[in-house]
Amino acid sequence: MSATLDSTPARRMPVPPRPRTAGSLVITAVVIAVVVGLHVVAVHETQFSLTELISGWHGMWSFLFGDPKTKTAGAFPPDLSWKIIGPALGQCVVTFSMGLLGTTCSIPFALGLALLGARTTSKNVVVYQIARGLMSFFRSVPAFVWGLIFVTAVGLGPFAGVLAIVAHNMGVMGKLWSEAMEEADQGPIEALRSAGASAAQTATHAVLPSVIPEFTSLFLYRVDVNVRDSLTLGVIGAGGIGFVLTNAIQNFQFNVMMTYVLMVMVMVIALDLLSAWLRGRIAR
Amino acid sequence: MTSLTTPPALSVRGLTKRFGDRVVLEGFDLDVHAGEVVSLLGANGSGKSTTLRCLSGLTKFDAGTVTVGGRDVHSGEHAPEFAMIFQKIYLVSELSALENVCAGALGRLSFWQAWMPRAFPADVREEAMACLDRVGLADRAHDRAGRLSGGQQQRTAVARALCQRARVLLADEPVSALDPAAAEQVMRLLRSLAEDGMAVVTVLHQPDLARRHCDRIVGLTAGRITLDSARASVTDIEIDALYAPDYALEGGLA
Repeated sequence: MSATLDSTPARRMPVPPRPRTAGSLVITAVVIAVVVGLHVVAVHETQFSLTELISGWHGMWSFLFGDPKTKTAGAFPPDLSWKIIGPALGQCVVTFSMGLLGTTCSIPFALGLALLGARTTSKNVVVYQIARGLMSFFRSVPAFVWGLIFVTAVGLGPFAGVLAIVAHNMGVMGKLWSEAMEEADQGPIEALRSAGASAAQTATHAVLPSVIPEFTSLFLYRVDVNVRDSLTLGVIGAGGIGFVLTNAIQNFQFNVMMTYVLMVMVMVIALDLLSAWLRGRIAR
Repeated sequence: MTSLTTPPALSVRGLTKRFGDRVVLEGFDLDVHAGEVVSLLGANGSGKSTTLRCLSGLTKFDAGTVTVGGRDVHSGEHAPEFAMIFQKIYLVSELSALENVCAGALGRLSFWQAWMPRAFPADVREEAMACLDRVGLADRAHDRAGRLSGGQQQRTAVARALCQRARVLLADEPVSALDPAAAEQVMRLLRSLAEDGMAVVTVLHQPDLARRHCDRIVGLTAGRITLDSARASVTDIEIDALYAPDYALEGGLA
């Protein structure tokens, strides 16, 4: 450019200081004080103690590498024999199935709540608020807690886990879907309104078709998350790999536990990659 | 041109629109006959798009009468006689061209007759196919609308308006987003629709296109008609006046 051609230096101008008021300094100080204060309280409330961590090192050691005195096996080396891995593969299938089925079965409820709880498709304020409220309610109760409820209702087993995921996921996916619909391009909706289409017709002919890629992508993301949730549901008796993992810990079979942990890791990472890859393909 | 003794397809008297205290359209009168293409010219904010939105029922107007096909249309009412096309085209890009065209018929179908884009009745699909053929896109019927070029998309939007069986086509800057060749093609299409008996009102930002493709040029300045002439008698000076910056007005509004 011209500056490199001729030797005269480019014109400069001092940058004026950024305007800073006394108020903004006070606000910064208050924010820092509050954040530090909250952490002090948190350290106290959780009995956070580095000395305890250090003094308990031999506990950690025997957990990781076994204790010769009690003859318990440590996490390393993990027990990679087929008699452990074989049945555990079946348990992984149970966990995956719980996550998948829970997500799929929540589709109709999530779709209904999303349509009633999105400003683009729901014109009645009362209906809209009720739908938003229901979504918040189902979402704010974690799948784990829904699991405790359904285990009491339908007994131990993966079915209780599926119901728990349906209940939690319809709130979450309903919210994500309703937001996707609210962000959808308003243009086609307006075009169909100008052609005399009713609100329900614009929903099925303009809003839904234009958000199907986002819906699919959010669904895949939720399958991924819900399979991880169904692991923790196993802990409270909903079966699957989470259940046998808890049993292994309770029986001090840390080498078996480690095998399960590794299998969970592989499953979660594989699912994460697959889901991300599929979502990437949809986004294109 | 059709004889001026037949009643106009569209007749507007004293159309007025205010947003709060701001008058965006005042005393707008317009008659458009079947077979006529009328262009609305004017600077940004002069009320061109608002006029079309008031006619199509997308925006309510404050005063005036709108008569289409001999029937009075109330403020904010959708009249099936009006179809609208837009600068940003507004097709559903995930759906096929044919499904987008079929959507033009939604106004005369019940919800369950076409509860989703794949479920239009056979007669509507065939009518839509004929509309696509009319705009020269029969061979692209099953292509996703998002895959079509800008010009093809706008022609698909015109086909959607045809499938609505409208008598008056309201085009809001239909070619502003298109390259010159595609713009020319769309303008010629509007012209030929008028020859088939439609009345066309189009907002344009290119006076040159208005001169070549329209029968009449109506100019708006700050919400009032300041020009209404057959295209042959419009002078460059008159058109330039529409876009002249009105400093007094700017000062008055600010």
